[in-house]
This record gives sequence, structure tokens and C-alpha cells, in this order.
Amino acid sequence: MIGGTTQETSQATAYRARFTRLLAPGLPADRLDRLAWELGLAPATDPAGSEPLAALVTGSERNGAGLMDADALWLPPVAAWIEPPSRTDASGLARLLADAAGNDLYLNLTTATAHGLQPGRRLLAALSARLAPGWALEGDRRDDVELALHEAVSNALVHGNLGVTAMKELNARELDRFSRDLNDRLADPVLAARRVVIALRIDPAENGRPLVTVEITDEGTGFSPGPRSSSGASGRGLGLIGEIADGLEIEDGGRRIRLGFRL
Amino acid sequence: MDYGIEVRDQEAVIRLRGRLTFNDHAKLRALIGEMGQNKLRRQVLDLSSLEFVDSAGIGMLLIAREEMERASKQFVLRGAAGQVKRVLTVAQIAKIVPIED
Repeated sequence: MIGGTTQETSQATAYRARFTRLLAPGLPADRLDRLAWELGLAPATDPAGSEPLAALVTGSERNGAGLMDADALWLPPVAAWIEPPSRTDASGLARLLADAAGNDLYLNLTTATAHGLQPGRRLLAALSARLAPGWALEGDRRDDVELALHEAVSNALVHGNLGVTAMKELNARELDRFSRDLNDRLADPVLAARRVVIALRIDPAENGRPLVTVEITDEGTGFSPGPRSSSGASGRGLGLIGEIADGLEIEDGGRRIRLGFRL
Repeated sequence: MDYGIEVRDQEAVIRLRGRLTFNDHAKLRALIGEMGQNKLRRQVLDLSSLEFVDSAGIGMLLIAREEMERASKQFVLRGAAGQVKRVLTVAQIAKIVPIED
């Protein structure tokens, strides 16, 4: 690799979005062209090139099927995945793109879509692809970071947006209850449309070592982190997250969790 | 996550494959039912092909263990590796469930 820290720093933030292009695989070409024009972006038909690109999740690629499953769409230059709320016009979308700007990866998805995506695994791959070669996540640390991301996103979806209580007793009846609640609430269009927003940033920290920040926001009723309990079958996995992450902040009454990882 | 059950002379071996997460609630429920129904006293969960487990997955394994105890069956975890072994260790599951290599 040519150059030293400067090169690495600029590489670490190279994908931080000032979007230039818009990709919307689910939209007909004429609608994409018009929307891109209204937003001052160039329409794109594939994620090639190097300039940061925002992708819209619409229509058939929802629910984990179709294009969101394509590995390439989680890699640079794609810097944002936005599933526009219904009847969002260009100005509404412009606000979402403004939220997305300044992150290395930004996801704004419904619960229904995010639930089908195994976002922990996807986020780990997306993060790995954005790290300079010397900082690659490997071995146990890689497994741990994946688990922390998975637990944090699962909490936002299951306990946050869907309001499903964790399994508290160790028996099959409680497993049945969890199962039933999860299915019922996913089938509720209001709850399934609640959004989860995931923002990932990679910043150079002390000694030039990158600091990865992942912020996950849900639209549930929040929670108060209480004393850890080991009696239930599934808590919020917060104990695990806390042991893995170097930073853990809970904000907005439990609707936002911010994780920090030093590499 | 997928699983297959092999009924041997002395034990039933249930091999889990893929990723075991909160989303596998229905499969775990079915699995617990199948383990309860076969006649063998010893039920072994072979985790060697399991790639990933989350905290809810661990919880579901503990539920399976409780249900086997209720049915007077022996419940053993076998062959965990990689991330799965690591999480079982961190969560100190060996204190509750016999773990074999």
C-alpha cells in the first residue's frame, strides 16, 4: 500500500456519503430518472464505480428477497440503503439522504425487511469491506463483533419495534409464547412498518487505530437497562454486547444504542 | 438453521447446521418435540456443523435441556467449534449442560 497514515485515514472515510448517484433496482427506469433528477443525483443501474451511491429498497426486493441479498450491494460504493416510507416524495427522500450523509454505511429499513436479512452478518461483511487491510477483523474478535452487532439489531427489531418480551422461563410453553408473539407482531402492518436505522462510521482514533461506531435506532417503547439477570432464556443480550464492545451507550429511553469498537 | 436426527442404538444424535438465532423458534420447538418422542434416553445435539449462535439460541438450547430433564432424558451438547464454542464458554453453559468434544 502506498503512503502512510494519511492514505489510510482518507481511505477509512472515503465512502462517507456525499451521494452522487442513486440506484433503485425496484423502480422503472423513467421513475428512477425523474427521482434522481429531482434529488440532483445521477441515476445508476448497477453499483459499479467508486462514487458513493444511495440505493432505494422498493417493491420486489423487500423482505430479504431479491437484490438486498446480493453481496455486492453491501460493499462500497453503496453507502446507504433506504426503504422509503410509502408516499415519500423527493423532498422526504432528500431528508433521509441528509441523515445518511456523514456515515460510512446507513440503513433505514422497515422491521419486515430488516428481519429477513440477518443484518448482523451483513453488517460485519460491510464493515470488513470498509476497513483498510491492516485493520481486518479476524478470529475471535471478528466472531465477537458479529455477535454484538447481531444482538443489538435483534433487540431493536424484536424487543423494540415488535415489542416482544424476551423468554423469561426455561420451558417449551415460554418458547411457544415467544414464537406466537413474534409471528403475530410481524403480521401486524403497523409494527412491521416501524423502522430501524443503522448508522456505521469508521473514524481514526488515538494511534491512528480506527474506532468503529455503530448506532442502532428503533421506534419501540424503549426500555430501562436494569440489573443483569441470568435466569431467563433470552435477555437482551446486553451483557454479551457490553463485554464485547469497547463503548456502549443507551439513549432516547432505550430506543437508541451506540456501540464503539476499537480495532 | 436446519437439523437432522439420527437414531442410533444408545442415543439419538441431532445435528444442527447453519445459524441458530432467535428466528429459529419454530424449528427449536419442533426439535424439542421430536427429541421427546423418540424412545432413546440419551439425546445428543451435535453442534459441529453449527456456524453461529446468538443469546436467544443459547436460551433455546437451555429450554431443550429443561424439557429433556422433565422427560427424564439425558441431554448432551457435542462438537461445538469456532464462534459456537466461544459463546458456550463465555456463557458458562458447561455448568448446566454436559459438553463433549
